[in-house]
Amino acid sequence: MVGEFEYVLLTAAATLGDDAYGAAIRQQIESTTGRRCSIGALYTTIDRLESKGLVATWMGEATSERGGRAKRMVRLTPQGVRAAKDFYNAIIRVSRKASWAVEGRKGTV
Amino acid sequence: MSLSSSVLRAVSGLLTPHEREAVLGDFAELGANDWRSIADILDLYFRRRIMLWKSWRPWLAAFGLAIPSSLTLMGLSVSIAQSGQRWINACVLNGAQVTLGPGFALLLSNIVLLVAWSFTGAFVMGSISRRTVRISVALSFVPCAFCLARFRIESLSRLCLLLFMIPAAWGLAHGLRFAHIRLRSAIFLAAIITVLTIPAWTSKGAWLPNWALSWPAWYLVATASRSAGSLKDRNPWQTN
Repeated sequence: MVGEFEYVLLTAAATLGDDAYGAAIRQQIESTTGRRCSIGALYTTIDRLESKGLVATWMGEATSERGGRAKRMVRLTPQGVRAAKDFYNAIIRVSRKASWAVEGRKGTV
Repeated sequence: MSLSSSVLRAVSGLLTPHEREAVLGDFAELGANDWRSIADILDLYFRRRIMLWKSWRPWLAAFGLAIPSSLTLMGLSVSIAQSGQRWINACVLNGAQVTLGPGFALLLSNIVLLVAWSFTGAFVMGSISRRTVRISVALSFVPCAFCLARFRIESLSRLCLLLFMIPAAWGLAHGLRFAHIRLRSAIFLAAIITVLTIPAWTSKGAWLPNWALSWPAWYLVATASRSAGSLKDRNPWQTN
């Protein structure tokens, strides 16, 4: 099973779709979690996910706003989607009877 | 160019070209300041270095090969230098008749062992963990520095301690370029090493250093035999 940060990264990349690359994933993670995401943690985790076959990466186009430098694009593989789903389902199962999950469900009814 | 830009440029050289491109582009897009970017690049670099050490390979190369092998091979280097010096003194300088007796055979056997052990050990050290090879090489110099500082044999040069470095450098250069050697060459090296160490099997303390130095040869046989079926015989040195 993937780790917590790996799951966050996979979810951010899946949300961004075709626009998933280093800086965009970093901003997505920071805005949704409210925590700083270092470049070191981001790129070493991308490498680890790639070595596990959960994401594929390639060098994308260079843009002027990036000073003419290329992006490292990221896309989830079918195994990556499966791994993220497994993690999500496990969290849902684990949390089912937790007070905050029960309260959350009551609040939405 | 400001100081921070120069430092950023220098520090980004620690990254691979593709990664440098992506990371510097990310900084430009996010408008990150130079000092923050420098800290981020150093963070990425050190995380990468630490990740390498999560594998058993760099540990084996550094502590299972570099340190014990250099320590033991220095002893053999001195022994060969002393035996060689005695043989030269007796046969050449004192004009005695050149005899190819047991002493000469032992000297020859030790020279072959020194070359084979140094070559195979350094080859495996270079091939199993290429990205940490600088640390492995630096660690192999630690026992050398210690012994060089305490070397007290008047008739011999301190450099005799480092005789093993020549075949080791040769082996390391090949290990860095190729993952394994041809099966026939690997078996030949392992067989020679094993046959030449047979006389030491009966001696009580010698088996441990002998096996510590001999296992890389059998490791090369194992890796060569594993890939022998799948690789074409284009070159005596098979690439990854």
